[in-house]
Amino acid sequence: MNSIITNKKIMKRTIKLLMILMVSVTITSCVQDDDYTVPNSLGNEENEQLNELLSRVDNGLADEIQLKTITEVRALAVQYEAITIESEIMVKGYVSSSDETGNFYKEFFIQDDPTNPTATLKVVLSQADTYNQFNQGREVYIYLPSLVIGETNTGDDVITIGGKIDDFDNDVLAMTANQIPDHLFRSSVTETLTPVELNLSEITESHLGMYVKLIDVQFPIGLAGLPYVDPTDDYDSSRPIESCGESSTFVMESSTFANFKDITLPTDGKGSISGIINKTYDGYDLVLQLNTTDDVVMDGVRCDPLFVEAFETDFLTWTNYSVTGAQVWSPNTYGNPGKCAAMSGYANGSTTANEDWLITPAIDMSNVSGAVLTFQTAMNYSGNVMEVYMSTDYSGGDPNSDGTWTQLSATLSTGSWNWTDSGEIDVSAAAGGNLFIGFKYTCTSSTSATYEIDNVKVIAQ
Amino acid sequence: MKKSLIILLFGVFSSFTMMAQSTIVKGSVKDAASSEPIPDVTITIEETQQSTLTNGLGEFIFSSNVPLGEQVLRISKTGYETKRYPIIVNEGQTVNITDMTLDIDITGAEDLFTITLSDDELSDDTSGSDNISGLLSSSLDIFQRTAAFEFSSSFFRVRGLDSDNGSVLMNGIEMNKMYNGRPQWSNWGGLNDMMRNQVLSNGLGASDYNFGGILGTSNIITRASSYRKGGRITYSSSNRSYTNRAMGSYASGLLDGGWSYAFMIGRRWGDEGYQDATLYDSNSFFATIEKKINEKHSLNFTSVYTPNRRGKSSANTQEVYDLKGIKYNEFWGDLDGEQRNSRIKEVEEPIFMLNHYWDISSKTSLNTSIGYQFGKIGNSRLDYAGGTNPSPAYYQNLPSYFLEDGDLEGAYEAEQEFINDGQVNWNRIIDANLTNNISGANAAYVLYEDRNDDKQLTLNTVFNTELNDNIILNGGINYKKLDSENFAEIIDLLGSTTGASNIDSFNQNQFDLNNPDRVAFEGDKFRYNYNLYANELSGFAQAQFKYNKIDFHVAGSVTKTDYQREGLYKNENQILYDNGVEIDNSYGKGDKLEFTGVGAKAGLTYKITGKHLLNFNGGYITKAPSIRNTYTNSRESHDYVGKINGVNNPDINITEETITSFDASYIFRSSIVSAKLTGFYTTIEDANEISFFFTQGSTTGFIQEVLSGVDKEHFGGELGIEAQVTPTIKLKGAASVGQYTYSNNPDLYVTSTSDDFTTTEVDQDGLTTVNTSGVVSTSNLENYKVAGGPQTAYSIGFEYRDPNYWWFGATANFFDNAYIDVSPLSRSEEFYTDADGLPYNDYDPDVAEGLLKQEKFDSYMVVNLVGGKSWRIGDKYVGFFASVGNLLDKEYKTGGYEQGRRADYRALRDDVSNTKRVFGSKYWYGRGVNYFLNVYVRF
Repeated sequence: MNSIITNKKIMKRTIKLLMILMVSVTITSCVQDDDYTVPNSLGNEENEQLNELLSRVDNGLADEIQLKTITEVRALAVQYEAITIESEIMVKGYVSSSDETGNFYKEFFIQDDPTNPTATLKVVLSQADTYNQFNQGREVYIYLPSLVIGETNTGDDVITIGGKIDDFDNDVLAMTANQIPDHLFRSSVTETLTPVELNLSEITESHLGMYVKLIDVQFPIGLAGLPYVDPTDDYDSSRPIESCGESSTFVMESSTFANFKDITLPTDGKGSISGIINKTYDGYDLVLQLNTTDDVVMDGVRCDPLFVEAFETDFLTWTNYSVTGAQVWSPNTYGNPGKCAAMSGYANGSTTANEDWLITPAIDMSNVSGAVLTFQTAMNYSGNVMEVYMSTDYSGGDPNSDGTWTQLSATLSTGSWNWTDSGEIDVSAAAGGNLFIGFKYTCTSSTSATYEIDNVKVIAQ
Repeated sequence: MKKSLIILLFGVFSSFTMMAQSTIVKGSVKDAASSEPIPDVTITIEETQQSTLTNGLGEFIFSSNVPLGEQVLRISKTGYETKRYPIIVNEGQTVNITDMTLDIDITGAEDLFTITLSDDELSDDTSGSDNISGLLSSSLDIFQRTAAFEFSSSFFRVRGLDSDNGSVLMNGIEMNKMYNGRPQWSNWGGLNDMMRNQVLSNGLGASDYNFGGILGTSNIITRASSYRKGGRITYSSSNRSYTNRAMGSYASGLLDGGWSYAFMIGRRWGDEGYQDATLYDSNSFFATIEKKINEKHSLNFTSVYTPNRRGKSSANTQEVYDLKGIKYNEFWGDLDGEQRNSRIKEVEEPIFMLNHYWDISSKTSLNTSIGYQFGKIGNSRLDYAGGTNPSPAYYQNLPSYFLEDGDLEGAYEAEQEFINDGQVNWNRIIDANLTNNISGANAAYVLYEDRNDDKQLTLNTVFNTELNDNIILNGGINYKKLDSENFAEIIDLLGSTTGASNIDSFNQNQFDLNNPDRVAFEGDKFRYNYNLYANELSGFAQAQFKYNKIDFHVAGSVTKTDYQREGLYKNENQILYDNGVEIDNSYGKGDKLEFTGVGAKAGLTYKITGKHLLNFNGGYITKAPSIRNTYTNSRESHDYVGKINGVNNPDINITEETITSFDASYIFRSSIVSAKLTGFYTTIEDANEISFFFTQGSTTGFIQEVLSGVDKEHFGGELGIEAQVTPTIKLKGAASVGQYTYSNNPDLYVTSTSDDFTTTEVDQDGLTTVNTSGVVSTSNLENYKVAGGPQTAYSIGFEYRDPNYWWFGATANFFDNAYIDVSPLSRSEEFYTDADGLPYNDYDPDVAEGLLKQEKFDSYMVVNLVGGKSWRIGDKYVGFFASVGNLLDKEYKTGGYEQGRRADYRALRDDVSNTKRVFGSKYWYGRGVNYFLNVYVRF
């Protein structure tokens, strides 16, 4: 009996002891928990470094740093060269581009003002997904000593800040992961950028790298159903943009790595497209590069012409009527761009008298109250001036006897193959019925001009 | 050697009735220190291998077929030192030896195993190796004990076999996971005192609980009355996996009214183990209570709850190890002054079971169990949908990447950066999310968990009857039902207030088209979400025959298994169009897969004399592939082996795996030496292997690699030998020499939903998309070695046991013939064919042969020391032991795999010709010198 009691006591004591031991162990021994609160120190280091640099700006001491504008920094660039910056200078800008969608890669642009930019720089760095550090609108300082200014693709005129020089072809190479923390600094400011509004015809080299908004534009109706990126393209994919108010076109270029590549182009309206003006890889042409497809806003009614002909395919639907002479209207590849329709009486070393009409198919104007005609011409060599007519009742025969033709007044090319806009020509007289446009080319056996026609459009008003 | 088996065979049926002229051997056993009787001690007559168990009063009796003359009685029980008593038996007389004493085994050796490898490592999915040693730790077989204690840290696998070939039971209920067939050791980790009663049936030997696999069955008994009365408090310190361990346990013994109980509380913790930032945070709770209702019926209720968290470590390329050493772990980084590991495995799966023990008669019993386990397994990782790969060892961050382009300066900078930092940059990750908060963009990074929330119900009943002295019949029926929820869940937004979009960042496809463009926040599921349902119904029957010269057994089993997947997300990656008609392969219920497995095995022991025995076993088993080896891309689709992109392939049928195994042993036992030499031959046929990785070359993308109809051949020999040269000195030796190879060229296909594998066409009938992946080819794996630990291992050592309760031992272990896991894709036609299906025009078979040669790891030797001392204070024991692993601090590779990322001829050739390989193989290294120290009090 005694031993049982003793045992029970021992047991109770033991259990108590165990409990105390375990509880104390559990309390005193903590290991990494699941708490990932943002540390207070986050960003301090970068701030301190930036503040230290800013305190040296114009301080009049030996370690003085000069804060330059982007325009001033751009002036340091020498064409076809990459130059290492040695002076103690710093530049401030606002990030204009974003690689969030993968359309930019290891680069971003900065512009000198959030709303009224005048100059930009490209920054190349060996870091992907820069958007989650150098977000659009972020105020960024670049401490320039030992960095490089030039072009990433010599001759493309895109003034770029990088980290190294490719001695082989004087290209600017990306800032390395080691250089970035010593040269690229963010302030805590993120501005909302106001894009510069532009018509397509207003885009110039000065807009390179800027966040712009192209207004009154749409994608050609022929692109309906196609994605932003042509799946057969290897790197970059071009999609044309057309203006509603102008005859100008422009090109949007997207990377095949952009995550919106499979999204269908919005062709069901007109509106605006915002993005960054950039250069094609070869440096020849300006293009628009999207930050995100959210910047493509097609909220208006499309402005498609009632008729459009770019002569890219042979103009089989047209009537090509030769009244006199062996020569006829035929396609060539000197169009604006691509192909066009051309006519000349000169062939095989001699000139033959010709009268040749190029007549559109019937353009349905039954549902419109007015319309204008635009086209472009290029010509060379002296000869008779081409004439332009309209008709409402042509039926396919000799235009000298078939249909009633009214001559139209158009601005035509005067030589040197200059592509010339016709100006907007009122063809409202055909409203409610069919419209035919006839281009009448004539020449004599002694003089013969060559005319080329492209981009014939009839737009409802 | 099958002590534990025989315990059960005879123990339950010990007869106390005897005939007048019987030759009888009887006696009793008590604890040398406390003088309390010890129940469940195994008493064996060595010559005939007859054995019995002591009853509650410590008494035993042999009353039939007792051999005459000079005999040796062996008295053993786990936790005590085994003793051998010589006796003389005369015909018709009774030998009565009462009060034989057993001393507590002061070595605490039963603990050694669990600290050689932490139990998490035993089935650690990150180490890529899998270990069956846990099965063997309670074995008395010299070779198996050596495999458990000395070989396990080298990820040695007995006979080269995966642990799914062995069953771990708890009170008869199988604990192997239906997902991968392997035991989840961490479910009962840290409960050493309570998991110590184990009954092991070796290999194809007879098990009283189930049919078992070819590596045998280990049954952990947590019956409250089976624990020795008393308590134990243990503290341990180590630099292996945890740094501290504290445990306390107490068992009541049998109390008034037929009650008994036992409980245990344990904690293991540490900020880092041998590998950097491998934190350990584990609590263990255990309670069991038994009520003996009457002589025939007893009920026992056990609950086990061991929530644990563990920081994982990475496999690394040689380039990384050369720069950062073998403790390097790429998964962690410093955040606010603390080490944060991004990959934490958390397991929390409590187990409840109710067992009914019914002794229908003295010779017949029926044990019925119901078990329920539920909870979660979570593996955390960083998602980087809007940022760069956060891994500091990502190939683009390493010198090799720059060297490949000849950029020496870049390589140098990368090397310096990696050496000086080379960890996860949490500040950048959080800053990225804060930056995205400004613009309203979704989180660049989130921390999420891959979750596995299982609920498993098991019903089990086992019948045993002793027909006569020579024949025992066993049979059982088992039913398992698994409902498994699988999903990814965001556990931390890392500063983001904008959430994570539920969109595949590779191709902008919706993870769930039923809820497109959903944004997920903390606690939300995203990426994938599906259920798996599995049922398994099995039965087995077995007959065991015991005679003086011969023992043999035969057993058979049938198992019906079915699996079904239910997709809860409609994954856009898995949607194809046929002439404008949508075909979805992800949402709702998939095909129900049914398998029937059969098993047959037989074994024979021939006792030439008491000293020389021969043992033969053979078995044939067909079994359903595990869930893991069935579904090829379960996170996204209903696909399984043979169903490719939603279409059944006529050439590939998922079937049961077939395992055929034979072994033969010679056993020698003298008073000084005991030894066992075994030869084995095993084939595994029609197995599947599924893996996932990113590849680039002629085609690029994230792929699922499926091997179907894999055959393997494992043969070799094992030797275990032990000599008690003096009463205090024991010499030990063990060897395993095997050859484990692929024995055929299995079918191989890869599936992927990446762009490179999808074609789209639109015609007048509408959109048609075709997934061009899944072309079946052959992987020429025949004669490649099976990876997974050394195929050759030797151990030699000694133990010195001083009568004054101190002891020490040392072993030297030598390992060789460990091979890398080869990439099956590189051994297929994919290797030498270009995108157009024709061979590369610069394909050179000689160069290819060099590229495809399987890497063999260097052989190595590991020396381990262990020693301890204990003191008896009154009726209590205080003791300690310490071990030092890898004393010579040898650096060695335990395993590795070829990265399939550059799987084709050109890509691999170019990569290999680099100064440093960009996509070199990844390796695991064993631990350098390490220690374990344990102190305990027993009362």
